[in-house]
Amino acid sequence: MGNKQTIFTDEQLDAYQDCTFFTRKEILRLHGRYHEMAPNIVPMDYTKDPDVKLPIQLIINMPELKENPFKERIVEAFSEDGDGNLSFNDFVDMFSVLSEMAPRELKAIYAFKIYDFNTDNFICKSDLEKTLNKLTREELTAEEITLVCEKVIEEADMDGDGKLAFADFENMISKAPDFLSTFHIRI
Amino acid sequence: MTYHYNEAFENPDYHYSETLEIDRSRERNSSFHQNLPESSLDDDSLYDSYEGRSGRGQRNQDYPMAIPMASMQPGFRYSHSASRSTGPNTNPYGNPHTNPSFEYEPELAYTSPSTFHAVDGPYVRRSSDVSDGGSFSQRYNRRQADLVYRMPSSLLRLDSNAETYNKDKYKQEEKLIKNLASMSSRERVKAIQKTPKTMKEKRDIRNKVLMEKTKTFVSSSTRINCCTQCLYKTALFYRRFKNGLSEYLHLLQLWQKTLKVIRGKFGTSVLSYFVFLKWLLTFNIFSFLVNFSFITIPQLIASGPNNLSFNGLELLTGAGYFKKTVLYYGFYTNSTITKTENNSSYNMQLAYIFTIGIYFIICFFSLVYSMAKSFCKNFINLQTYSGSAAKLLCIWDFNITNEKAVKLKQSNLSTQIKESLSEVTLEVLNLSLTQRIARIAIHLVVWVASLGIAAACCAGVYFLSRNELQLLEGNKSELENEAATLVLPIVVSLLNLLIPFCFALFGLIEKFQYPRHQLYATIIRNVCLKISIIGILCYYWLNDVATSEKECWESLVGQDIYRLIVIDFIFCLLGSFFGEFVRRIIGTKCCKKLGVPEFDIARNVLDLIYTQTLAWIGIFFAPLMPAMQIISFFIIFYVKKVSLMRNCQPPRKVWRASQMTTLFIFLLFFPSFTGVLSVMAVTIWRLTPSKQCGPFQGLTSVIHAVSGWIHVLDSYSSSKWVVWIYRNLIGSVHFFFILTVIVLIITYLYWQIIEGRKIMVRLLHEQIINEGKDKMFLLNKLRALQTSKLDPPKGEQQERSSSSYQPSRQDALQMTASLERPFGRNGRDFYAESSSAGIPEKTGLSPADEEGHQPGISETLALALRARQQAEWEMEDDDEEDFRP
Repeated sequence: MGNKQTIFTDEQLDAYQDCTFFTRKEILRLHGRYHEMAPNIVPMDYTKDPDVKLPIQLIINMPELKENPFKERIVEAFSEDGDGNLSFNDFVDMFSVLSEMAPRELKAIYAFKIYDFNTDNFICKSDLEKTLNKLTREELTAEEITLVCEKVIEEADMDGDGKLAFADFENMISKAPDFLSTFHIRI
Repeated sequence: MTYHYNEAFENPDYHYSETLEIDRSRERNSSFHQNLPESSLDDDSLYDSYEGRSGRGQRNQDYPMAIPMASMQPGFRYSHSASRSTGPNTNPYGNPHTNPSFEYEPELAYTSPSTFHAVDGPYVRRSSDVSDGGSFSQRYNRRQADLVYRMPSSLLRLDSNAETYNKDKYKQEEKLIKNLASMSSRERVKAIQKTPKTMKEKRDIRNKVLMEKTKTFVSSSTRINCCTQCLYKTALFYRRFKNGLSEYLHLLQLWQKTLKVIRGKFGTSVLSYFVFLKWLLTFNIFSFLVNFSFITIPQLIASGPNNLSFNGLELLTGAGYFKKTVLYYGFYTNSTITKTENNSSYNMQLAYIFTIGIYFIICFFSLVYSMAKSFCKNFINLQTYSGSAAKLLCIWDFNITNEKAVKLKQSNLSTQIKESLSEVTLEVLNLSLTQRIARIAIHLVVWVASLGIAAACCAGVYFLSRNELQLLEGNKSELENEAATLVLPIVVSLLNLLIPFCFALFGLIEKFQYPRHQLYATIIRNVCLKISIIGILCYYWLNDVATSEKECWESLVGQDIYRLIVIDFIFCLLGSFFGEFVRRIIGTKCCKKLGVPEFDIARNVLDLIYTQTLAWIGIFFAPLMPAMQIISFFIIFYVKKVSLMRNCQPPRKVWRASQMTTLFIFLLFFPSFTGVLSVMAVTIWRLTPSKQCGPFQGLTSVIHAVSGWIHVLDSYSSSKWVVWIYRNLIGSVHFFFILTVIVLIITYLYWQIIEGRKIMVRLLHEQIINEGKDKMFLLNKLRALQTSKLDPPKGEQQERSSSSYQPSRQDALQMTASLERPFGRNGRDFYAESSSAGIPEKTGLSPADEEGHQPGISETLALALRARQQAEWEMEDDDEEDFRP
């Protein structure tokens, strides 16, 4: 118990619990993981909410993310400053959304952000092409890529504007029941 | 053009309507030019800003003719051309996509709700008010119906001033907080957890809500302060206690780590097998606990010593020594177990029947519940998407963390995509009539063959088992008899192991249009085989063994089931040894072409369903059967895990884990569990229990135990209600008749409702498409009007834009200096400004573009708005100019 007190105050832990899908223990574990990545930068004592951020290079080397082709996008989508630097809050947020408990709506919002490479709030053809390249290690020919992208847009675009808005994306996800279990990283 | 028109737009682009306000408030600071000094200062920031701006520009859709929607390049060209009108600018960043230093700017995620409370907050919310039809904002509101701070719809706010933003924001936040404060604490936590905002904002909101709560609390009841504090503390303590408890419960969950490893290495599809295994294991643990505590423990207290000798073979056959243990039905007594000290008694008959009955009822409901939940989750939208969209964007399994697995998955995906592309071309090829007939004929032949094989297996098993029954009557040594009993289970297990391979071979002959259909066909055939084998065994048990006048036929059935389960378990181990380990060695050492075997999820899950069915049947005849199941599942879990890790690779085909799990739960329910229930019903209501052993000896049927008990109860006045319930509800045909009718009526009603909803969905879908077309049409008209109006005064316009914008450039520069992020509000103002300034020029520059390129609706929409504004400005400008000398 004494160990716990030095990292977070009870009040902080309550706040984290209210704002994420984690229990106290998991939050402490997350802190451990966060601390582990850069023991020199991240203090053990978080009672005063120190303003510490870890750069994207450290985060994407976590075993949970390391092999993920979308690792940079994931981290960037959750980083508050947009550069991919994650504060502990962002870090907890990230795994909270990716946890099992998070509802489909919340996951969909962040999945959309992740796939929206150019951050224009639409998944347009270029985003799809990038996604496809990441998914297949660029093994497809350019023609195949355009064909697939066209098909995707044709299929999922409801309002006919040639790109996928969030509504289109969510509608699509509602038809892919596996999404909930696959958009999930267990820490 | 009225503002009402705006309401019709279902377009997220409307979020940018705040640019309209700014435009309209005429703060023309022409901040477009601010990017010039910025760019010269810092490459990165310039890059950022370009990236963002072009993105934003696209969103704003200010210059759609120049932007083929999917590519950003022309956007850049545009910003070039726009800036060319004011000064030379070279943009070194040709293509932002390939730039590795591309940085993500969360503020850019403009419509995404995560920033709702950030700087952009009020705009977005406002815009959601403005465009009530805006699809994104609408769904945002829907999602957070409880959080929503919908302001009174105020289209007029378009005209309101920028200064009111902060006020509005503050107000809305206050409203939200009040809203949250009025909820119960649990709902509040849930609502906050669901809010897609950063942690800081969430915590902020939470703190404010708590403050609000305590404030109202204190103000309303200052006197009972002490009491409330006490209450508060207990509530807090309770919560912490609950959290601690849930943590410990979490620890109890089995195999968390192993499952994580499997998930990381093989993805969700293979994991679904292990999750299913775990789920079945919990069923068995529950049933074991119930049976052990209510049937076995009382019996153990009353039972005498066992004087049969034990040799190792019993473990396989289940006969011999085990005959006189609590494992089998025959050992249980029919007497009431009485403890002499306090005269309390325990009626074994009732305990036996009620424990098993209640267990089956609980099983029934939990199966129905999980089935319904799974159906509801996975089959809501049955209207099939051919799925390439979902395939692309939902297919990545974020669970996979293993390097090899990732690479494998990627190459699998690319082959899949290639396959589906070739399928598209194949579909175009229409099969000729003869080919089609040939295909159907092949299907028919294969189906007949597989059903024939299943029937032949059944017949073989039936005659073998009858023979064995007669064989047991022959006078042979005990050991020989016991060994002979093993023939039947071995044959059954062999059939179960080999016939599926045979079915798999059929797959080579058959050509299915979709691989999925082949999977379904194989599963159905295997289920047919397994269930019919179990069915024929049940028939043999109930029809031959039960009427054979043998001593203790229930125990014989129990032994049969025991043997079947044990031998099946051994075959499962052998199967994973030969099917996976040896196969891998062959695949990697001798015959490289074969490669590493895939983990066959369907076959393994069907095996599990098969053993579980046997175990359920066995519960009545051998109450401790669940214990066996627990042990075997435990071992299977580890063996399969090791074999999977060492020998297998994840399946190459797409495995729709959720849908297949639903199917498997359904299979577990429909032929399996319902079959077990009917077997139980026959045993309990129809068959005569054996005369010399078991709890029900001497009765004509098992259910007589209950009716006899009811007779006894009838004499006590205090338990009349039990008798009444039994006579009028459980024992009455009329009651069940009425119940069935009611259920049928409800089902019919729901069915009709579903039909109605389907029609509704179809209509709404059509409506969406129509709305899109309407928009297209209107906007095309608008565009035509706009071009015809703007083209003539082109020169004038350009002149003005260069002259009148010049002075305000200084302001813009000052503003930039005060901005940390390039895309604060001013950044956006700047967008509106720059692009609006650019429009006439653009239209003048590339009319050809406009002809050839069909802009998306959102682009057109933004363009239309822009055009309207432009027109209005012009008019105002003209008015002003009229006043000038």
